[in-house]
Formats: sequence, structure tokens, C-alpha cells
Amino acid sequence: MSSKSSLLKVILLGDGGVGKSSLMNRYVTNKFDSHLFHTIGVEFLNKDLEVDGRTVTLQIWDTAGQERFRSLRTPFYRGSDCCLLTFSVDDGQSFRNLANWKKEFVYYADVKDPDTFPFVVLGNKVDVSERQVSREEALQWCRDNGDYAYYETSAKDATNVSAAFEEAVRRVLATEDRAEHLIPTDTVNLHRKPRTGAPCC
Amino acid sequence: MAATTPPKVIFEHEGVFIHSNTEELEDQDSLISGYLRIVDKDGETVVEYKPLEDTVDPSNMLCACKDSSSVVEWTQRPHRTVDQQLSYETEWDMVNAVSFKRKAHTNGEGGSNHLNERNKGAFSFNVADLRSVTVKCEGWSYLIFCLKDDTTLPAIHFHQGGSQAFLDGLRKSVQLTESPDDENILLVGAYSKAFSQSFENLLDDTNYGLVQKFKKDPYTTTLGGFSKVTNYFFDAFRPSESECQQRPVEEMADILGELIPGLEINQQEEPGFEVITRVDLGTRPEVQRREPVMMEDWAKHQDSEGRVSNVPHLKHLIFKGGLCHAVRKDAWKFLLDYYPWDSTHEERKNLQKRKTDEYFRMKLQWKSVSEEQEKRNSRLRDYKSLIEKDVNRTDRTNKFYEGLDNPGLILLHDILMTYCMYDFDLGYVQGMSDLLSPILYVMENEVDAFWCFVSFMDQMHENFEEQMQGMKTQLIQLSTLLRLLDLAFWNYLEAQDSGYLYFCFRWLLIRFKRELHFQDVLRLWEVMWTGLPCHNFHLLVCCAILDSEKQKIMDRHYGFNEILKHINELSMKLDIEEILIKSEAIYMQIKNCKDLPNSVSDILGLNAVTNDSTLETSEYGVLESPQSSPRPAHRQDQAYSNGHGLLQEASHNRCKVAFIS
Ligand SMILES: Nc1nc2c(ncn2[C@@H]2O[C@H](COP(=O)(O)OP(=O)(O)O)[C@@H](O)[C@H]2O)c(=O)[nH]1
Ligand SMILES: [Mg+2]
Repeated sequence: MSSKSSLLKVILLGDGGVGKSSLMNRYVTNKFDSHLFHTIGVEFLNKDLEVDGRTVTLQIWDTAGQERFRSLRTPFYRGSDCCLLTFSVDDGQSFRNLANWKKEFVYYADVKDPDTFPFVVLGNKVDVSERQVSREEALQWCRDNGDYAYYETSAKDATNVSAAFEEAVRRVLATEDRAEHLIPTDTVNLHRKPRTGAPCC
Repeated sequence: MAATTPPKVIFEHEGVFIHSNTEELEDQDSLISGYLRIVDKDGETVVEYKPLEDTVDPSNMLCACKDSSSVVEWTQRPHRTVDQQLSYETEWDMVNAVSFKRKAHTNGEGGSNHLNERNKGAFSFNVADLRSVTVKCEGWSYLIFCLKDDTTLPAIHFHQGGSQAFLDGLRKSVQLTESPDDENILLVGAYSKAFSQSFENLLDDTNYGLVQKFKKDPYTTTLGGFSKVTNYFFDAFRPSESECQQRPVEEMADILGELIPGLEINQQEEPGFEVITRVDLGTRPEVQRREPVMMEDWAKHQDSEGRVSNVPHLKHLIFKGGLCHAVRKDAWKFLLDYYPWDSTHEERKNLQKRKTDEYFRMKLQWKSVSEEQEKRNSRLRDYKSLIEKDVNRTDRTNKFYEGLDNPGLILLHDILMTYCMYDFDLGYVQGMSDLLSPILYVMENEVDAFWCFVSFMDQMHENFEEQMQGMKTQLIQLSTLLRLLDLAFWNYLEAQDSGYLYFCFRWLLIRFKRELHFQDVLRLWEVMWTGLPCHNFHLLVCCAILDSEKQKIMDRHYGFNEILKHINELSMKLDIEEILIKSEAIYMQIKNCKDLPNSVSDILGLNAVTNDSTLETSEYGVLESPQSSPRPAHRQDQAYSNGHGLLQEASHNRCKVAFIS
């Protein structure tokens, strides 16, 4: 695999307070810090992982959610391989805002084909008992928007966090494979397999 | 065409050359020696190249040439479109009429009218028509201009140096951005003024349309048009090479450069064209900091009725050493202009009474909003929900705000809510809780903290406004300072698409609140609030931190992402005293510099000749002179302070909070 394609950029989007930074930290450092500051500006962390026998470096970008800072976060959307749309199951508004986040992402990331772009939806804080968003509602939304993978996570107790990020990687790799098969020079290989030859730019 | 105002020569360099037949016959390379100028003509900026009248002196050249009269004509690339545009001709005549004495020549079929028909090899163009500049180096530098109509002008070779100065001159009028596809190509944006406009539009992104205009238009079109240019260059010069067109992984860097272009260059706020070339800054002087101002020092500066005397001197002491914690609660109220320095105890008591009433009147306003009302007030609801979320994520490791239902948290919340009533247009913006937290911690009193916060917000307001004008201005100013202080580093950042200094965003938005340990934030802020030694001292603080990091950044060849990460991760690793020493030293270095560019002295307010600043400067000088040793009383102060040190510790941990509600 080429060094280029082994670095995958994913971006966490969602309302402030849904737990984006906590999810990133849980995944990368396996810690939950209840004293975490709210995010100002843009941050990212790298993590190496192996999915289906392929080693990739995941670069996870985390931004501040307030409307005011939109112009300072949107430039970072470009080049994302996957977008993790995040809401909190105890906050109905954050769920209803997913559509806006998706729209903003598609617009600023300049996604060529929004229908095939890999989105993964995360319903965070499942450890909280007072839910405002049911699993069914969330799944319905994912179906309506294009069969997005849906994970109910908890950054606090680590539920499904790795699974969600790994799914993101799988989705990206799957899209890339599809794209590769469109290159005429590529020999017909309809089965998804770990790539060996570096796809030339 | 008669000129209405004489053209102003912004840049002039003699000793540039056009080569002919570069690729075919290297040994028969011919050179035309000439001038390159940037001329401001009635607000239009024109670049012109004029050959010296057939006076190529081969002895000046670094490469072989034959008789200049034989092969001086620039031959056109066969596939270039010949797109006659009269405006250029007019442009040329206009400039020509007033600037150069030159014999008329007749040149055969020029093809492009950017080339002067009457003078071999001469050309001129309006910078507004420039699309890109290719910068190449072959022992010397040469530049190739490509215009928006796809005309590529002959390469201008700087055999006698000066290409950087020329580009600097060009940057006064246009935006030059390194191409995402080829580091040798500088893409030209609009006039900086127009760009600055675009940046504002960008920030006002409630309007997608404007963003779209900016984002789609220049980027896509530039890139589209640009690929034509690249192809052309490759055809012409490097036919064997083909360029990898895949966008780099770190492409957001390029995009950012495109999106925040106003920040990318050393923009001049003033209309003049000032070329900042290398200014000799001299050596950085040694700076010593002092001990913090103790209770006794503070008390000594008040007369019997409570008026603070010799304020400039006191401010200098605070600037040089900060305040001992016990003094802060009182002194910050003056530093933040809540209390006038010349007020008496009595007056301050009355002021506080009035301000207390005023505060609670505003607090009552949001406190008395019923649930029903709140349902119909989405803005208040949004502010409230943001504040609730952020208060829970502000300085939670600090004793004052630790744990559940800590009174500190409630006060933080209430003051921010009341501030929304005080300034409903601004309301609450993320970052404001960070600015309030240290103030509340020091004041331990809701009303005093509120009014001190109001004062601090007066200074910081622009950072949080819809347009974020304050952020934009500061990033541009910082870029200007950095460029003066360290051109090499500045160039490095530019080359990494980080020239707009995005990575300093958090530093500037909340004045290093997240970068330093809590106690060090208190120190830095009180030093800054003295207003000494110059305007925008916090920008020199940025420069000082960057100065300490630049070697690492350059040695490790950090790119856009790594720079951002590196700077983010400096948080809580910085030494405040070291930074303050360096910042002050940089200030002295700049102040002592003789030919300081105006843009820099404006930023730092070094031109201001008010009585106040004269006094401050002179006194500052006295304090700074190496001979001046700490005053004899100083040691005593320290002894005195130790007692207070304990008190200070105690008050830190006790969460003593004045509840007035
Ligand atoms: N109970 C619970 N709280 C969480 C979880 N994830 C985050 N939080 C809390 O929710 C708040 C917001 O989290 P943060 O990561 O800052 O959200 P962000 O604004 O989306 O980055 C913080 O107080 C976190 O401690 C979770 O999975 N469960
Ligand atoms: Mg966050």
C-alpha cells in the first residue's frame, strides 16, 4: 500500500458538548477525562490501527462546534476520508442538528459524490439513562440518509468507541477499493482484498 | 495618454536579464539586460521590464552570451493563444510616457501586446492581470510571469540578485500563494484589499453564497486555469516530466491558505507601499525581571484618601515583576479600569454601590425569565445552554471550580448569563468562560468579577464578534512582526502554508489562557494590563514563544499539520518568566532599531508621542539600564511577602466566595 493511502483523515462533527473530544481521547489514549476543557480552535490526534489486515494511520480531527467559529473549522473539512456525525442520545436537539452538520460538511469538504461518501453516525453517552433519542429513530435517520453505519457509544465507559472508528476505516477502504476498480488499467479484481501494489497517483 | 498623477516607482532593479533560446542552444544563450520596475500609476500597479538600450555588457553576466543585437528577441511559444487586448497597450503607453527615456525600436510580429512592439523584449502588464509567478533557481533566481489570458512572458533572470525584493514589492499589491501543486509557482490572488474583503465575507459565513463565491471561484478557477499554465510550462521547459496531480494528504493546508488569504502576507494596513526588506535588528538585549509587587509596595503607592500615586512607576513595577497574589484582588480593579487610579476610598465605595445595583438589576432580568418566556426566546435559550455546557468544562481541575455544584461554577454561570444581558448582541461566545475564570478566582466576589470581566471584554470584544475582526487583525499584525523579526522562519511558515498563523488562534482568542498554568495566566495578564511597554505586547509574547520553537519546527521539517500539532501541544509546557523575558527583549530590540518599518511601529504604537508614552518610555529606560539595581527596600519586601505567601496559599484552597444574591 502506498504511504499516501495509509493515512486516513476522519473528522468528528456535531453540536458542542455531545462528546466529540471525549470520544477522540477515549479512542486514542483510552482515557476519559471528566475535567476536559471545551475545544477551542482545531485539534487532531493520530492513531495507528490494523483493520482487516491493513495497517492505517487514522488522523482524527476535532473542532469547536459553535456557529461563530464555523469559518475557522470548515477549511479543515477538505481532504476528509470519512465524517463521523456525532450526537448525544440525551440531547434531542443535537440529533436534529445532524442534518445541518452533514450539509455543512458536504458543502465545505467539497464532497464530489455525497451519496457514496462514507459517513458514520455516533449516538454518544449511552451510559446516561435519560435518553431523548431512541435507537430506532437514529437508525431510521441513517437509513434515510444513505445506509450510514450507526454506533451507540459511550466515551465514558468505552462502549463501542473502537468499533465505531474501525468501522469508519472499513468504510473508507471499501470506497477506495471501489474507486480503484474504476481505473481501467487495474486488473479486474472484484473481491475486496488488501491492496498490495501502490495505486499510483 | 496623459497621466494625472506622476507614477510612483515602488520597486526598481537594474541588472535583470532575459535569455533567449534557453533550451535549444545552451552555449549560445543570449541575454538582454534591463530594468524591472513596479510602478504605481493612479492606483494601478504595473510591472514593467525594459531592456537597457542595446547595452548588454557581457562582462556583467554569469553565463555565456553573444552579441546582444543578434538574438534578443523573445520567441513565442507556438501554442500560445494570441489574444489581443488593447488595454495592455494603453497601460503600457501610459506608463511609458512618463517613466522611461528610451529609443523606439520596431519589433517584428510580437504576437502579444504585453511585449512592447517598439522595443525588443520589453514588456509591461498590470498586476491585476497576473495569474502566477514561477520562481526558479539555477544558481541565480529567475521569474516567469504568466498572465490571466495565458500569456507567458519571457523569464526574467536576476543575475545580480533582487528577486526576493521584487517579490516583496509585488506582495504589496497582490496576494502570492504557493501553488498546491508546485512549490515553485506562486499563484496570484486579487489585490490585497479585495482579499481582505473576501476574508471578511468568509467570516460572515451566515451567507453561504459569499463563501461559495470565494471558495469555488478563486480556488477552482485558479486551479483550472492553473493546470493550463503548468502544462504550458512543462511543455516549454520540462517536456519529459509529468506532474503528479493528486492532491496532497495535507491539502487542507493549501485550502486554508486559499480561504484565509488576507492573513497570508504581510499586509499593509496603510495604503502606502512599504517594502520590508531585511532590517538589521541588532542584538537582543539582556533583560531581567523583578520580584512581584508586594502588599507593602502597593500600599506605599496610595495616599491617605486612597488615591494611587505615581501610577506610571507602579505600572512599571507590575510590568517587571507582576503582583504578589494578595495584591491582585485590589490591584486588578485598577489595572482593568474598574476603579479609576485617582479615585478615593470614598469614591470607590460609592462606585461599588452603584455597580452592585446595576449588576443585580441585570442579573434579575434573566433570572426572572419564566420557562414559558424562555421557550419563545431562542437566543437566550442558546446562550444559556452554551454557558451551562462550557462552565462545566472550564478549569475543572482548579480547586475553585472543582467537583459538583461548586459555588465557583454557579458564579461563573451567573456572571456569564448576566453578561449576556449586559451585551445581548454579543451574548456568549466560547472562550469567554476562559477569560472570566481567572478574574472570578482572583476577585472572589460576583459583582467585582463581573465588572472587571466587562473591562477585559472591552479589550477582547472584537475577537468574539461575528466577523472576528479582532482575530483577523491580530493574525495579520503578528505575521508582520514575525516577518520583521525572523524572515527565514516566516518564509518557512509560508512555504508550509502556515503563513497566516492559524495555529496561534487559541493563543490570541483567549490570551494564552489555555497555554499556561493557571497561576502563570494571572501573571501574564497583569503584566499585559499595564499596557507596557508598548501596544500589543501580547503579539511579542507570541513572537517570543515562536522564537523558542522555530528551530525545532524547521529542523524537523514540520509541515502544516505538524506545526499545528506542535503548537497545540505546547500547552502547559511553557515557562512564563522565560517568555516574559524574551518578549521584553524582543521589544527592546525592535525599539532600538533605527529603520523600523512603519507598519511595525504602528502595531506597537512606537510612533505615538503622547506625553504619557514619553514618560513611560523614559522611565522604562531608567528601569532597564543595567546599572540600576533593585531598590534597597526590595529585600525587605520579600521578607514581608513570605508571611503573605502563606495567606495566599490558604486563600487559594479555601474557595472563599462572596455570595451576594
Ligand atoms: N455520561 C457521559 N458523558 C460524556 C460522554 N462523553 C462526553 N461526556 C461529557 O460531556 C461533556 C462534553 O464532552 P466533550 O467531549 O467536551 O464534547 P464536545 O464539545 O463534543 O467535544 C463533557 O462534560 C464530558 O465529560 C459519555 O459518553 N457519557
Ligand atoms: Mg470538543
